Amino acid sequence: MNPFKPVKFSPRQAFRVWQREVSVYKHVYRSTIISNLMDPLIYLLALGFGLGAYVTRIQGLTYIQFIAPGLIASSIMTAASFETTINTFVRINFDKVYEAMMATPVTVEDIVVGELLWATTRSTIYATVMLTVVAALGLTQSWFALLVPFMGVLGGLMFAVIGLTYTSFLKSIYHVNYFFTLFVTPLFLFSGVFYPLDSLPQIVKEIAFFSPLYHLVRVIRPLILGNVGIPVLLDLAWIIAFIAIFTVVPINLLRNKLVK
Amino acid sequence: MRTHPVSREGRPGRAGDQSLVEESGDAVVRASGLRKVFGNVEAVRGISFKVAKRECFGFLGPNGAGKTTTMKMIGCVSPATAGIFHVFGLDPKRSLRQIKTRIGIVPQEPNLDEALPVEENLTVYARFFNVPSALAKERAGELLSFMELTEKRESKVADLSGGMKRRLLISRALMSDPELLILDEPTTGLDPQARHLVWDKMFELKRRGVTQIVTTHYMDEAQQLCDRLVVMDRGLIMEEGTPSELIEKHLGKEVLEMRLPSELIEVIPKNDPLIRGYDTYRDLLLLYSDNADLLLDRMKSKGIGSDYAMVRRSTLEDVFLKLTGRRLTE
Repeated sequence: MNPFKPVKFSPRQAFRVWQREVSVYKHVYRSTIISNLMDPLIYLLALGFGLGAYVTRIQGLTYIQFIAPGLIASSIMTAASFETTINTFVRINFDKVYEAMMATPVTVEDIVVGELLWATTRSTIYATVMLTVVAALGLTQSWFALLVPFMGVLGGLMFAVIGLTYTSFLKSIYHVNYFFTLFVTPLFLFSGVFYPLDSLPQIVKEIAFFSPLYHLVRVIRPLILGNVGIPVLLDLAWIIAFIAIFTVVPINLLRNKLVK
Repeated sequence: MRTHPVSREGRPGRAGDQSLVEESGDAVVRASGLRKVFGNVEAVRGISFKVAKRECFGFLGPNGAGKTTTMKMIGCVSPATAGIFHVFGLDPKRSLRQIKTRIGIVPQEPNLDEALPVEENLTVYARFFNVPSALAKERAGELLSFMELTEKRESKVADLSGGMKRRLLISRALMSDPELLILDEPTTGLDPQARHLVWDKMFELKRRGVTQIVTTHYMDEAQQLCDRLVVMDRGLIMEEGTPSELIEKHLGKEVLEMRLPSELIEVIPKNDPLIRGYDTYRDLLLLYSDNADLLLDRMKSKGIGSDYAMVRRSTLEDVFLKLTGRRLTE
C-alpha cells in the first residue's frame, strides 16, 4: 500500500464527523479545558516568575516573555496529540464510534478528515485561550499576536497528522505513553521553548530542524513580540510543506486498518 | 403512538406472497457467488440470493456460519472479496454513499455513542444522513416514545439496561427512514415484553413497505417474521424457501419425539410409510411424519413404548437442526 496515495472524501460528511465531536465537547469542555490548560499555565507561572527571578535576560527579553510564546506553541502540540492518540484510540477500539459511523453515508476518509479538523479545532481553542492569558499578563507586544489562533490551525493540523499516523500503528492503549515520552516530551524540551538552542551542540541544532515544534515556536514568538521578518516565512513554509506532504498518510493508513 | 414519524404512504405487503415478489422484479439485494475472505479464513464461500422489495428476508445459521459477515457486506460496511453483488441495483464499489444513505443497520454488538446522552445518540446519528435537525428531533421523540425510552432521553448510554440499549440501537437505525433495514440478531438478550415490542415495530415497518433483512437464533421469530429465509452453515447457503416450504420439504407436518435407550433406537424399523424422515440425538428419536398420532399408535402396537413420547407440530427449529446438525459447531 502506498500511504501517499491521493484520497477522496466528502467535505459535507467530514463536517458531520466534526460536528459529532463538537456535540460531545459541549458536554465535557467545562471539566476538561481547565485541566488541559493547567499544564502550560503552571510552566508559565512557575518558571516565568520562579526561574525568571534568577535568569537575567534572554535575547533582551525577561524570562517569562521568552517562554510565553513557546508555551502557546506547546499547548497546540499537546491538544492535538492527546486528541489524535488516546481519544482516537478509544473511539476506534472501546467506544466503536467509527464502526457506528461507517454504517452511515460516512466513509473512513470522511472520518479521518473530520477527526483531523476536530483536533485542529481543539488546538486552536487552546492557542486562543493561552493567547488571552499571555495578553492579560501584558506579555504581547504586537498586533501580529492576533495571528496566533491561525497558527493554532496550522500547528494543530500538523500535530494531528503526526498523532493519527502513530495511532494507526497502535495495538494497545499502553503504547500511547511512548508517543509522549519519546516524541512529545523531547520536542517540548529541545525545540527552543525554554532556552535558545544556541547554547546546545551544533548537532542538536541540526536535529531541531526536523522538530515540528521548533518551527512553530519560531513563528509564534515573533508574532507575539512583533519582530516579524523573512525567517518567519521560512518556518511557516516548513509547516505548510509538512501538512501538504503528510496529511494523506494517516488517511491511507487508517483506511487500511478500519475497513475489513 | 403507532404512527411512524415518516410521511411515506402505507403500502400493504402480504407475507410470503410470491406474486408480489415477482411483480416487483427489481430486487433490493442481488448476490451471486458472493465471497468474503479474511486472511486465510473464508467466512463466506460463494453464496447467491435475491431479496425482493418489501420482503422480510431471514438468514439463519449457527454461530460462525457467516451470517454477520454477510450482513456487513449487504450494509456496505465490509467490501466483498469476490462475486457479483448489487444493492438497489447499484454496485457498492462505485456507489457506496448512495447505497448507505438508504440503509439502516442494527448491529449485533451495541455500538451506541457512550459520549452522548440517549436522545443525542439519535439526532447526531441522523446528521450523518443529512436529516434536517428539526425533523431529526421530531423523529427522535416519536421513536423514543414507541420504544418506551422517553423517560431515558437525558440518560447516559452506560446507565441503560441491555434491552434498552438494543431498543435504542433499533431506533437509531430508523432515524434516516431507511428503505432497507438490516437487523443482526435484533432480539438477542431481550425480555419477552421487549421482544414483542420489537416485533410490533418490524411488522409495522413491513406494512409500510420497508424491506428487512434479519439474522436470528430464534426460530419462532424467523417463522413469524420472515417471508423467505436461507439457512447458512460454514459459509454456504444450505437451503432457501418460505418457513412453511422448508418444513414441508424436509419434515412433514408433525414430529413424534421419543426418548429411548440408544440400543433400542438403532433397531427400531424406520421404513414405515408414515415416516418421512428421522433424526437421533443421544437418547432422543425424532420421527417426522404427516400423521404422527397414527405413527405413535403403530409404534405402541409394535410394543415400542417410551416414558417420554410426544407428538407436536414440526417447526423451523427442527429444519434448522436437521440441516445444521445437533452438535455445537464452536
